[in-house]
Amino acid sequence: MKTGTRIWLVLGCLLAALVALGPIVWAFSTSLKPTNRIFQVPPELIPSVSTLEHYARLISEGVHWAFFNSGLYAVMAVAVALTLGTLAGYALARYPIPGKQLVLVLFVGAMAVPGFAVLLPTQLLFVDMGLYNTYVALPLLYAGHILPFAVWVTRSHFSTIPRELEQAAQIDGYSRLEAVWKVVLPGAKPALLAAATFGFLHSWNDYVTATTMVDTPSLRTLPVALIFFQGFHGRDWGALMAGVIIATIPPVVMFLLFRKYLIGGFADGSVKG
Amino acid sequence: MTTTVIETSVDSSRALHSVARKTKIVGSALVGPALILVVAINVLPAFYGFYLSLRQVFFFADEGYVGLQNYVELFRDPFAWQAVGRSLVFTFGSLAIAVPLALVSAMGIRRLGNWGSILLTVLLVPWAMSPIVVALLWKWILVPSPGGLVGAIFAAFGVPPQDLLTDPLLAMPTLILIGVWRNFAFAAIILTGGLGQIPRDLYKAAAVDGLGAWEAFRKITLPLLAPSLLIVISMLTISYFNEVQTIIGLTGGGPIRQTTTLGYLLYHTGFVELDQGRGNAIAIVMFMINMLLIALYIKILGKQPGAAA
Repeated sequence: MKTGTRIWLVLGCLLAALVALGPIVWAFSTSLKPTNRIFQVPPELIPSVSTLEHYARLISEGVHWAFFNSGLYAVMAVAVALTLGTLAGYALARYPIPGKQLVLVLFVGAMAVPGFAVLLPTQLLFVDMGLYNTYVALPLLYAGHILPFAVWVTRSHFSTIPRELEQAAQIDGYSRLEAVWKVVLPGAKPALLAAATFGFLHSWNDYVTATTMVDTPSLRTLPVALIFFQGFHGRDWGALMAGVIIATIPPVVMFLLFRKYLIGGFADGSVKG
Repeated sequence: MTTTVIETSVDSSRALHSVARKTKIVGSALVGPALILVVAINVLPAFYGFYLSLRQVFFFADEGYVGLQNYVELFRDPFAWQAVGRSLVFTFGSLAIAVPLALVSAMGIRRLGNWGSILLTVLLVPWAMSPIVVALLWKWILVPSPGGLVGAIFAAFGVPPQDLLTDPLLAMPTLILIGVWRNFAFAAIILTGGLGQIPRDLYKAAAVDGLGAWEAFRKITLPLLAPSLLIVISMLTISYFNEVQTIIGLTGGGPIRQTTTLGYLLYHTGFVELDQGRGNAIAIVMFMINMLLIALYIKILGKQPGAAA
């Protein structure tokens, strides 16, 4: 590569990284500034005086309970989707199933249908069934949203593992279940982690489902609590940016830890952006 | 002698048959729970929505069958058509920026090797964030004051602070740019993968033949990347067409309906005004458009070697 091209490439990358991360760094900086310095002109990137008052304020308003709810719902949804998804993914890779082609199309189609398009009838259905505004409403919905992806990645993974591996284990005296548990499943770790990460991000980051499916403050998720906080306290930017930071850390950490599997899962599979 | 042979063969074929049936039952039992949950959460509500769209439902109270009235009113409403137009502007405006940006990034990422995968990770951080949190964040970035980040940048160029989100002309472009900021890198993942599939020898051969960089891009990269580009375009189309959370958080459909897309109209009619019969009619229209897009998408995906269902 010519030196000129190289310099342009490096400059372009730096600019791209700045545009991607700059806003988040700015939010973090704001969240540490005392209220009277937030609108300082010219703005300071590194606060000369810093404080954790905004984070403390979120806790005094009970926002940490919403943080806890978000985490609980996400973990429940991922657990359900991974369990059911792995069973189905394995069966679709290994067993003859009546109407298999249709089942596969259904899963792929469901993967692409955005939950939002059917949210309104879902709300009314949940009201009729007594599921609206309960602890299970959101985990159930999120599990349904991420399940197609879990089926898709586990199935494509199981299809690449040679059948002989299980058969060898069975010859060695394992039952089929043991063979799957001890031989096949550990090998499927990348697919399972991709599905788990995707599922966690989907559930944790959702707002529109959470704000339309539960109503009681004690059932709220973090994004909903932050929007309510904004409604009550107007533009308390320090506290709001503290909220932005705590809402961003879990999914970004998950993403950074498992990005290899997630990116791999997307590169050969397909999922909504 | 002969009879025994026949008997055993009948026996074994019967045994085989029952084994085949048993595996079919086991397979169905394993797929069953996932299938039931997916149908219950993703398919059933669509039918229920269609049923409700034929009824007058207001504030959770069903006031009876009204036939196609909700649809007729919807198609007669100029605001609904305006929302369709706003959806098209938002979707295609976002695509027009996101796809070229993702392509350029993917090419840069390929060239940079290890540094490229670090860059991809950095660019994906906004995608890992919650859309509504992204909206809160950008509301602060765009705050019309010289103390805000964009305000300070404007001030450096001598431009007074602008309230981009309440400006009828600028609100939509601002929303589009924030949407692209949030998820264009997702498209870059798939394009980076697609670029990796193109044999490097082709470029060497092209260089030997005296093809310039632009010609090599046009004659090798674009045609060979076409499948990945199609996937990316169809996925982003579905994603942008259904975008609602950043709109709720940033503009609430305003100013003067300039950012009221079909998705936002559905949110507002169904969940804010609680006109649920009509809301469901919008939901069904959106669902149909999505099915159309998805049918295209599956068709494209089905042509992918190795990725077919």
